[in-house]
Amino acid sequence: MKRYLCLVILLVLTIFFPAMGTAEDTYKFDLSETEKKPFHFGGYIEFKPILFGLDRDSAFYKLRFFNDPQGQTLPEANGRVQLEGSYEKDIYRLFVKTNTDLKYSDPSGSSEHSVFYEAYGSLKPSTSLKIDAGKKTLKWGKGYAWNPAAFVDRPKDPDEPEQAMEGFIVGTMDYIRSFDGPLKTLSFTPVILPVYDHINDEFGNSNKLNFAGRFYFLLYDTDIDLMFLTGGSRSDRYGVDFSRNITTNFEIHGEYAYIRNARKNILDAMGSMRSTESDAQSYLIGIRHLTTFDLTTIAEYYHNGAGISDDERGNFFALVDRAYNLYQTTGQASALNSAKNLADGGYGKPNSGKDYLYVRFSQKEPFNLLYFTPSLTWMMNLDDRSSSLTPELLYTGFTNCELRFKTAFLVGGKGTEFGEKQNDYRMELRIGYYF
Amino acid sequence: MLKIIVVVLSLLVALPGYALDGAALLKQIDRNLSPESFEMYRKLINVEPDGKKKEFTLYSVKKGTEKIAALFLAPASEKGRSTLRLGENMWLYIPNVGKPIRITSLQSVIGGVFNNSDILQLDYSAEYDVEKVEEKGGEYLLYLKAKTKTVAYDRLKIWADKGKLLPTKIECLTEANMLIKTLYFKDHKDFGEGLVRPSVIETDSPLFKGYKSIMIYAKIKKRIFKDEVFTLTFMANLDSLR
Repeated sequence: MKRYLCLVILLVLTIFFPAMGTAEDTYKFDLSETEKKPFHFGGYIEFKPILFGLDRDSAFYKLRFFNDPQGQTLPEANGRVQLEGSYEKDIYRLFVKTNTDLKYSDPSGSSEHSVFYEAYGSLKPSTSLKIDAGKKTLKWGKGYAWNPAAFVDRPKDPDEPEQAMEGFIVGTMDYIRSFDGPLKTLSFTPVILPVYDHINDEFGNSNKLNFAGRFYFLLYDTDIDLMFLTGGSRSDRYGVDFSRNITTNFEIHGEYAYIRNARKNILDAMGSMRSTESDAQSYLIGIRHLTTFDLTTIAEYYHNGAGISDDERGNFFALVDRAYNLYQTTGQASALNSAKNLADGGYGKPNSGKDYLYVRFSQKEPFNLLYFTPSLTWMMNLDDRSSSLTPELLYTGFTNCELRFKTAFLVGGKGTEFGEKQNDYRMELRIGYYF
Repeated sequence: MLKIIVVVLSLLVALPGYALDGAALLKQIDRNLSPESFEMYRKLINVEPDGKKKEFTLYSVKKGTEKIAALFLAPASEKGRSTLRLGENMWLYIPNVGKPIRITSLQSVIGGVFNNSDILQLDYSAEYDVEKVEEKGGEYLLYLKAKTKTVAYDRLKIWADKGKLLPTKIECLTEANMLIKTLYFKDHKDFGEGLVRPSVIETDSPLFKGYKSIMIYAKIKKRIFKDEVFTLTFMANLDSLR
């Protein structure tokens, strides 16, 4: 037994303290580390226990737990496995990235969801030209928390803006030219995105072949992108973004999207739904600033032209209240199920409102604590003044290991976006390991 | 008469200093450290006061006086990250984030004493003017001032071996001459094609007491790249150059 205990301790020390040694060691650089192999295999595993502090008067609590009341808190265990591999020969490359999410909670039981995040082949005849075909994420836009001009990406989660995302099946290429003078770089990225049965069918209307494109310019030390999407699966849209350093430590960025005939489902005070179409404009303006003592501030204002207004959201919460009261008096759940469908259709999605403010402070290595980064993120719905406040502690001192402790407090009155969410607070620990 | 003798003697002593062309000397030091356009591999090691280390392996490519890019090969948590510098502009590409974001020269993408401008070092002569040169025994001492406010360190003091014209020590200073860090150049090595230079740079900083960082160089080879390699769009493809 002691032998096994020693082995376990040795294993833990090997994982967490792989390079333990003294500063007087001779430093060596084994050249075999620089050899390139045609195959690459790697991945990431994560364990993430979460404790939700439930708000049992909130609309989203009622929608989810109306027939299964919970206590004050709800624990949940999450796991994630991401595997990636590539094979490269001459000008050809294949790349695959999978994602498996595992979840266990007391009322819902366990669930598993696996998907290819990316799986594509590349052809690279020169440094100026690259052609890709397959499932790929493109990640357009310059915003940190939101990207209104990311026309061929899935919506970003502002709570986790740096997480990997699932792509769409596309055919795309990058053509790059460099110049001397004020215009230093020009690149063009055309995209073909088919939407048919079982191919990108969650993107929009089926049986359409969509075309998108992005022109990138590095002009007068400013990054500028122009983008478009047309084809019928989604309404036509045009966008522009930019990013520029005003000083070495102060960056400004912005995005603008013009969406023609944006469709929107509006809920009136009586609970009736009607569909409207009108042109919409969404935009974002933001800054990133670094002080001499390594405090990074990111601040962004986001206007979502096709978002839900304060009144429309109020109508939705009133509908949920009426449906919940009906369930309590009659036991009929049909109205609550209809409200659930509305929540899935947009009213329950993150940041579905019109105007938001995002502010994030992160202090790198305070008190000379190497690899330790505390941060504080504040996100506010400017229309109803509800908000979320998220303190976070990150430690990356163990090679290939990431430890993150994060809490989120949701603040808002009745009828507000964050006030009616299922939780009052959330605490999570994330232990991730790269290999 | 005595005054005249003193003035003449002072001029004679000072003349060798004036005769030195500081700018040409600095350019020669740059060329002795690396070709103008090249590829190389580096290992960066951060050492904490308790001896704990964290290592990073990078592949870097440089062209001319203002283009340099670096790709992280290890550890697994950093693999695929790349950084690009075009003059005063710097970007970081993280595979998960999927798009380059602008970073600043004083930040450090790896933590520790080395910051981004140390990792993406351009020629010293591209960023600094030589204010004066002194001779200190077997070494030159060059006093450098940044050409613009956007350079990471306002002032540098470079001690360079007179015979080899290679740095032995560099102090990085603020405008007010406050020491930010010191770089020590060690272990001369023949990299081939006539390039003999220090293969190890150690650094410490009064701002990070007890910590030090080490950069080990390998496989520095002259290589000319197309300008398109040094673009945001290419950052995700840097590995294809290896």
